[in-house]
Amino acid sequence: MKRICALILIAAITVSAVFAGGASESESTDLSAPVTLTIWTHEDPNRSVFEKELIEEFMAENPNVTVDYQTYPSGKMAELLTVAFSAGEGPDIFNQSQSVIRQFVEEGLVSALDPSWIGEESIDDVYARYIPGALEAVTLDGELHGLPLEYTNLAIYVNKNVFRDAGLDPETDYPKTWEELMDVSEKLVQREGEIITRRGFDFRYSTYYLMEMLPMVEQMGGKLVSDDGKTAVIGDEAWLKFFNYMKEWGPNGRNLGSPTYVGVSSIMNNNDNQLAMAMSGLYQEARIRANNPEYYESGEWMVIPFPQWEDAVENVTCHVSCHYYMVNGSISEAKQIWAWRLIDFMLSHSEGYLEKCSLVQPTYALFESELFKSMPYSEVFKNDLEHATLTYYSANSNAIRDKMKQAVEAVMLENRDPNEVLADFRRQVQDLIDDQNF
Amino acid sequence: MRNKVYSIERKKARWGWFFVVPALVFFALFSLYPMLNALWNTFHNVKLLSNRKPEFVGFRNYAYVLSSPEFWNSMKATVIFTLMSFIPLSVFSFLFGLVMATRKTGTKIMQLIIYSPAILSSVVAALIWLILFDPRGLANSAVNFLMQTPGIDHKWLTKASMLYMSTAIIYFWKYIGYFSIIILTGIAKIPESIMEAATTDGANARQTVCHIIMPLLKPTTAMVSIVAMLNCMKSFSTQYLFTQRGAPNAPLNVLTLNIYQTAMRDRNISRACVMSFVLFIIMMVLTVIRMKVSERKH
Repeated sequence: MKRICALILIAAITVSAVFAGGASESESTDLSAPVTLTIWTHEDPNRSVFEKELIEEFMAENPNVTVDYQTYPSGKMAELLTVAFSAGEGPDIFNQSQSVIRQFVEEGLVSALDPSWIGEESIDDVYARYIPGALEAVTLDGELHGLPLEYTNLAIYVNKNVFRDAGLDPETDYPKTWEELMDVSEKLVQREGEIITRRGFDFRYSTYYLMEMLPMVEQMGGKLVSDDGKTAVIGDEAWLKFFNYMKEWGPNGRNLGSPTYVGVSSIMNNNDNQLAMAMSGLYQEARIRANNPEYYESGEWMVIPFPQWEDAVENVTCHVSCHYYMVNGSISEAKQIWAWRLIDFMLSHSEGYLEKCSLVQPTYALFESELFKSMPYSEVFKNDLEHATLTYYSANSNAIRDKMKQAVEAVMLENRDPNEVLADFRRQVQDLIDDQNF
Repeated sequence: MRNKVYSIERKKARWGWFFVVPALVFFALFSLYPMLNALWNTFHNVKLLSNRKPEFVGFRNYAYVLSSPEFWNSMKATVIFTLMSFIPLSVFSFLFGLVMATRKTGTKIMQLIIYSPAILSSVVAALIWLILFDPRGLANSAVNFLMQTPGIDHKWLTKASMLYMSTAIIYFWKYIGYFSIIILTGIAKIPESIMEAATTDGANARQTVCHIIMPLLKPTTAMVSIVAMLNCMKSFSTQYLFTQRGAPNAPLNVLTLNIYQTAMRDRNISRACVMSFVLFIIMMVLTVIRMKVSERKH
């Protein structure tokens, strides 16, 4: 009888353990079974090498886990992920910027982190690792859907040689305002007739419109979207000032640069008299060091803060682009747990990311580290970060960014009237906002 | 006897079906079903990445697309690009085909040179020309040399009219060889006896071209013009790459590019399908008109 009672008791305990709602997910998930995790990430040679080392280490510690690490061109990632997830074939782990990932969060396509999976007692402990605002793009209804890989704001890299060649002193003549930036660029630019052979400064264009140009509008009090998220393009005066500036910058104005010239990121390391100033993140230091160590060591470059307008009403610096690692929400729970553990393991090496790839993760620990402080001009980026916010994100942010790109191109290259362009731009963005709410 | 014939015909028909069915199944699966699915999408609110069940919205997507200034800008860009590419392609492919057919020497070299761009992918072709159209590139330098205008930026990649021209030049360069070879093949099919008879009757070169070659080449020229026109209307990669390199969107935003952006960037599959249907109908109507005109002349 005792044996029967004992068996019934064991059976009851087993059944209650299996069906108990309060039990931890990992307790009922077989984490010893072999799993293969697929990671899709954008190309970054320095980071790929480092992350592959970390993954090897993780696999050695967890022999049942295999990782398939795949890299793709950054410009193609959003499209690849959209197609893959639409077909139900998304990777287990992927990374993208806040502009792209928000749609994945809002559509419930990505996994929400259970803090116990990565050994934290509560989700607040995870938030406590990061500086305020760093996780807002991956937070929805109190749940956390991603962890930040890189947190990038842009400042201006200055080539001192080109300044001196133009008879300027880089230490004193560097531009502090947008007006000065245009005037200094005029002194630095070289042309053969109308054709630019050396640019003073040029923008990044490409996918950087919301990141590097929207702050120019916001410094004048303008906004892309109202605070309640319902109205597009606030503050016509600010927008018109910005559009007029870009028109003046382009080939139909003072002819200082254009998005059709070779992208500045591919020539800024060269030190070959093609470019004096360009915006980039702290990561550029690793790229200069890798591509042109002689120039890196020469001290002939420096970094200056993001400019402001002379009559700016808001102190806004370059917006921050934050890339997050996320986990596919449709994979098995065991895979999700291993995926989160791998992400947490990789991202726990924030000093390694900084040292080997010059990528900044928005953790208190990193900003306070000696390594960060010892990096050339890191204080310029840190000071700018104090006035920076995440680049605009929403489910339609990529489309809105493209509309801004088209508006800037229309005034700069097609020489269209800024008032007309502003009206078109407002209509298109409003349309996207309404469509999102539809 | 009649029964035997009947059974042979049935047997033949059965074999006919045997050979045709795979093609029909392939067509039904990979062409007809996607087309019907696209038509269904146009009446629903289908969005990529959305977990929500598509709602029936009637003609709302059609109303939106047909009242959108961006759609009509795309129509304009498509028409301009098609006219600027298709007319020179049709005319010059005939001329080049004729020259190659009548030359005694160097024909093979000429065919090789003229056809080689066709084997390049459109992406590679566009990338090559992007370098040439750079303000410091060969195209600008050549025009400045010919016009004696040193230092002038002809704005190949920024000015709307120049963008129409530069994309049309790329398309012409890439496909002229392909269509010239088709014309050349058409000319080669004209019976030698007819050409000899014309020569015997004292026809000169102009008369041979106008009264012998051109009438007999009509089916080929009709086919070339239809295919060239349809290909021009479907052009995508050149415009896409130009916009990726910073060229302004409006002059390049042909319907195919708009469809791509609406589907992949805006994730609005339904509106992209509406535009695809509009493009399909336009292409079909133009093809029928071209065929009717050709038949009437014949």
